[in-house]
Amino acid sequence: MAEKNHILEVKNLRVSYHTYAGEVKAVRGVSFELETGQALAIVGESGCGKSVTAKSIMGLIKKPQGEIKEGSEILYNNVNILDYSKKQWQDYKGGECAIIFQDALAALNPTMRVGKQIMENLMAHKHMKKDEAKKEAVEMLRRVGIPEPEKRVRQYPHQFSGGMRQRVMIAIAFACDPKLLICDEPTTALDVTIQSQILDIIKELQKKHNTSVIMITHDLGVVANIAQEIAVMYSGMIVERGKSEDIFYRPRHPYTWALIESVPRLDLTNKQRLASIPGIPPDLLNPPVGCPFCTRCKYCMPICKERMPENTDFGDGHTAACWLHHPMAPQVEMPDVKGGAK
Amino acid sequence: MAKYIIRRFFEMILTLFIIATATFFLLEAVPGDPLTERAEKLPVEARDALYARYGLDKPVMERYVTQMANMLQGDFGESFVYAGQTVSGLLHDRLPVSARLGIQQMLLGVVVGLLLGILAALKRGTIADYFVVGLSVLLISIPHLVFGLMLQKVFAGTLQLFPTIGWPTGSDLWLGGWEYTVLPTLTGCFSYIATYARLLKSSMLDVVNQDYVLTAESKGLSRATVVRKHILRNSFIPVMTQLPMSVAMCITGSFFIESIFSIPGIGQYYVTAVNNQDLSIVLGLTVLLSLLYIVVLFITDVLYAVVDPRISMPGNSSR
Repeated sequence: MAEKNHILEVKNLRVSYHTYAGEVKAVRGVSFELETGQALAIVGESGCGKSVTAKSIMGLIKKPQGEIKEGSEILYNNVNILDYSKKQWQDYKGGECAIIFQDALAALNPTMRVGKQIMENLMAHKHMKKDEAKKEAVEMLRRVGIPEPEKRVRQYPHQFSGGMRQRVMIAIAFACDPKLLICDEPTTALDVTIQSQILDIIKELQKKHNTSVIMITHDLGVVANIAQEIAVMYSGMIVERGKSEDIFYRPRHPYTWALIESVPRLDLTNKQRLASIPGIPPDLLNPPVGCPFCTRCKYCMPICKERMPENTDFGDGHTAACWLHHPMAPQVEMPDVKGGAK
Repeated sequence: MAKYIIRRFFEMILTLFIIATATFFLLEAVPGDPLTERAEKLPVEARDALYARYGLDKPVMERYVTQMANMLQGDFGESFVYAGQTVSGLLHDRLPVSARLGIQQMLLGVVVGLLLGILAALKRGTIADYFVVGLSVLLISIPHLVFGLMLQKVFAGTLQLFPTIGWPTGSDLWLGGWEYTVLPTLTGCFSYIATYARLLKSSMLDVVNQDYVLTAESKGLSRATVVRKHILRNSFIPVMTQLPMSVAMCITGSFFIESIFSIPGIGQYYVTAVNNQDLSIVLGLTVLLSLLYIVVLFITDVLYAVVDPRISMPGNSSR
């Protein structure tokens, strides 16, 4: 393969939160790359460290409770953003990299007119004059499909419906043509029809501006829709990653199997129960020494509890961290799951 | 909106009526009457004449009805104790004194309190934060009375910097005689400092953890802009709604401070009137001050809608 152009490289990212109970190791050594213009999905259940990873890339980890550990690297165009100066951060945030949050109602300032919230961005990064920015804000609202943008620009967030609010968030994020967009569960709070509209808008704008996207979600439907690559996170680590087709059709990690199994399908009969993953994720205050998934894994072996599995490479960027792929392990095929593989 | 105001207006009337009635009968229930002392040594005829002059010879219910009817016409009656003293005259003479004291206390207290609140919230967990929290607890738990006496002892007594008691009157009523106002103002501003520092701090800490602050930060705005436009504006909502109450308080004056510093304000007279069972004065002042509070509460409700666009006034749909 030719040398790829990586807009973002995360190397051994470790993030901890200091709480009264102790140090919560929310992200424990995450590494991935993102090709320019591509979309990477990070999937996993609640509390697995997806959002913390996103916030780290966005520079939103707050000291002193949050701490990005020594040795972590986040390379944006080959420069480690963790070494940025204050000024560089300000240019990077909003200008180079933007984020869309899950709950647009909470993420928009309730006492500021929507237009102003878009203008802020434009005035900070494109150095626009006020009336110029105002025109651009109206234009942005039109571009994300908000009817009557001239009127809407003067309204407050609570006067918008859920889907419209998320469109406003997208308008804010895309206002300064960011090169990198992080979507932190952008459709979770919306109903299904609106979800697909929002995803379409994001995809369209992504294509137009050649934006690279990190899509954080626990919804595999969203992933299939948008991402070329998938990273499956569990308990602060990436347990499997690869091209979308590989993850959906040739998953290698028991956690990925379980995730795909638990997607509802149309060809399930009424009698069949939807599969779920028993148990709860490990406590990140005292993360297990072995594989974090071992307590919930059907194929758990003695070694799983003692040692962290290494990444096994299956070619074409597809890796999984599971002892089942060790040469000495018993051969286990993915069960005939209800979702995905056929 | 009009409907809402009309409804509020009738609620105000009802509230005032209840307050007036309760005050009247509570004062009646106190043993003795305002004239007992004055009438003690008088001959029976003179005593009867005195009682007749103030209408105290009539049955309670009749006096109640007369009093209420007079009050409706704006006539609160004459003082039982000081001949010729009326409620309106009292307000004219004494309200400006209390108002100046209150305004000075409030301006100083609110400004300092808000600054300390911002400091504590932004420097959370540092020495500055602990200092502000400790100071607020101290200031709110020690009564005015103690502060007043302490300040008098130190600054007027030992250091001789300011006069112990007194208040500018006449042409100095509003802008002169500053040296007299320093100690009372300081005494009174402490509770404002404590209240507003804590109010703004807790409100800011609440806002800082909101998602929209993260959004603002993710736009690459400077820290100062984020604080000013996103954090402060939203943190001021509870402050804005507390302010009218403080304004009402500052006009009605503080009884203790006026007593300690011999300030001829409304508060001091109010306390004296209650002690003397000076019914018409107490009733009049109570009703008027209640009216002030009720109006202020109404303004507070309207202010909510002004500072927070999410709240719309009834009948004033914003959608």
